[in-house]
Amino acid sequence: MINTPDVLLVLILLSVLLSIGGSRLQEFIRIMSFQGVLVSLVPFLLERHEQTSWLDIGFLLVLIAIKGGIIPFLLWFASRKVSIKRDAEPIVGYHASILTGLFIILVATFISNRMEPVSLSGHQLLLPAAFTTLAAGLFLMMARRKAITQVIGYLMMENGIYLAGSALAKQTHTQFIVEFGVLLDLLVGIMIMGIILHQISRSFDDADTMFLERLKG
Amino acid sequence: MLELIFIIPVFLGVITFFLPRTAGRFLLIMAGVFHLAFTASIWLKGVAPYWAPYFGIAPEGQIVLLVTSFLYLLIAAYTVSYMAEVEMHNEPVFAGCMLLFLGAMSMVAVTDHIIVLWIAIEATTLMSAPLIFLHKSKEALEATWKYVMICSVGIALALLGVFFTILAIDTSDINVPITFTDLARASGRFDPTWLKAGFIFILIGYGTKMGLAPMHTWLPDAHSEAPSPVSALLSGALLNCAFLGIYKTHGIMQAAGLGWYSGRILVVFGLISMVVAAVFIMQQDNYKRLLAYSSIENMGVIAFGTGIGGLAAFGAMLHLIHHALIKSSLFLTSGNILLGYGSKKIKETGRMPLFMPGTSISFMGGFAGISGFPPFGIFLSELMIILGALRKGAYISLGIFIISLILVFAGASKGVIRMSFGNFNGELLVGEKFMRLAPPCILLLVSAGLSIWMPDTLYQTILKAISTIGGGING
Repeated sequence: MINTPDVLLVLILLSVLLSIGGSRLQEFIRIMSFQGVLVSLVPFLLERHEQTSWLDIGFLLVLIAIKGGIIPFLLWFASRKVSIKRDAEPIVGYHASILTGLFIILVATFISNRMEPVSLSGHQLLLPAAFTTLAAGLFLMMARRKAITQVIGYLMMENGIYLAGSALAKQTHTQFIVEFGVLLDLLVGIMIMGIILHQISRSFDDADTMFLERLKG
Repeated sequence: MLELIFIIPVFLGVITFFLPRTAGRFLLIMAGVFHLAFTASIWLKGVAPYWAPYFGIAPEGQIVLLVTSFLYLLIAAYTVSYMAEVEMHNEPVFAGCMLLFLGAMSMVAVTDHIIVLWIAIEATTLMSAPLIFLHKSKEALEATWKYVMICSVGIALALLGVFFTILAIDTSDINVPITFTDLARASGRFDPTWLKAGFIFILIGYGTKMGLAPMHTWLPDAHSEAPSPVSALLSGALLNCAFLGIYKTHGIMQAAGLGWYSGRILVVFGLISMVVAAVFIMQQDNYKRLLAYSSIENMGVIAFGTGIGGLAAFGAMLHLIHHALIKSSLFLTSGNILLGYGSKKIKETGRMPLFMPGTSISFMGGFAGISGFPPFGIFLSELMIILGALRKGAYISLGIFIISLILVFAGASKGVIRMSFGNFNGELLVGEKFMRLAPPCILLLVSAGLSIWMPDTLYQTILKAISTIGGGING
């Protein structure tokens, strides 16, 4: 029997693995767009919606537009402004990164099985996928040098938290506040980061955070 | 309508982006006057919220709001004079962001909803980032990047903590609105495991913003690279707002009977912050960084006092007020010094009483205040925290607390004495001005005055605020 949310979650896990081993920026942005669409679909497909209202559908469309469209576009725009194509010389190599990604999945699954939250009957994959996305995003922020890749890592982490939030909290408590909170944060955060990226490229001729080590102590 | 306290600054802030600079300066101060007047009316007769479950003011929020409002007005007056001396690329953006920042901080103080609080704290990060980046130097850029990245990750973890707290309600099948008041009322029936997990994540998240070690790494950079009025606002007002998030969650834990657990964690983080600050302060050659590390130490003191509870909780609240007053005064004074000597290095300053007599007095006064000399209020608050810890029998942590205080005093006094009496053979770039001298002096005088005579409403409000975390003057 095919369970649609589970298929989506597997696809999310794959997208995490793909991005963690990737180096080409265009590819990164395409994966993030794909992941954003998947992540916004998941809470909608969980069974706790007895009936879908027009408001829900409208909200879903807004979510997909932002996570899958606007944010990747902003990233693409920023990457073109700073004119970098790939993230050369990562701190952790690509193969080691993929291995780390697999290891993160193992640990996330282990932790989720230990937690056994009651509100998740029937979706064993949801929590592991959320934790994996979260941890992989954090890992990406630490393992890559380019400022823009760190922003992508942050986005991935936010996706993970969004998944965890929709997995853990019943809709009655959060209504749309959680979603709008996260979105607002994402949108404005990306804008400001984009501006900063732009400035980094102007001041350093390259958006590489390794140059950022003047302040010490 | 309680929400006007943040709606009006935000509205004015957006307008300021499109106004010429003189009008912007005028609005900067007018917003401060309005804000303080509105805060006073909230204190004196109370104002009902319009969106009732989301907003509503608690006693601790009232204290933070008053501190923020008072600081903002004085800092705005200083800023106008400061901006006349400093070349600024885009002044309307600066003034607008100051107002938006004030709005975001007021929103933190007046919200009761756990998610709205999170949104407001995130908003403070985003609104203050452009302020730090004002001078557009490479150092300022690095500081801003670190600030945005580290605080955003921290705040994201705090959101996860909020989800865990909500899960604690769901697993025990209770249906209450997720406001702090309702959560505290019903928390006895929550699942304790999830509550504990939630508290840890919230502490790590908001603790990053508050500057608790080891998550403090953004703080010395941001505070030293930001223009001085912004440093004063960051240190005096923003750190308190982040602390408010931890404090309210601690209140829920206390109501759930887990106060011992969260209190112990707060004590540990407080002590780590104090020790880390003491170590770094000893070898500091940049006076703005020295003040920033002193902020980390004082946040440690507040966390320690809150964690111990009882009389120490009263001390912590008092410490919050006086640290805000004195530290803002010190940062404003350091702005004068920076304008005068043109350098942040301690060894490139000196002979302050000769070159800048007024600044020298307020700097020395601030240093005495922050080190805990009477008549300044930090003397009282630290004494209360020590007495509270003695009553609770926490001797080992009290020992670490006192040793860190001594080390911080030793480290800071070395720098301050060098700045005041060391050699300097240059010329002063910018002289003192009354408008840049009065605000820091008023802040110091208020701190001294409050330690001699405290209004009864303030006293009662502090008592009400700390009663939620098991504190009291006799406890």
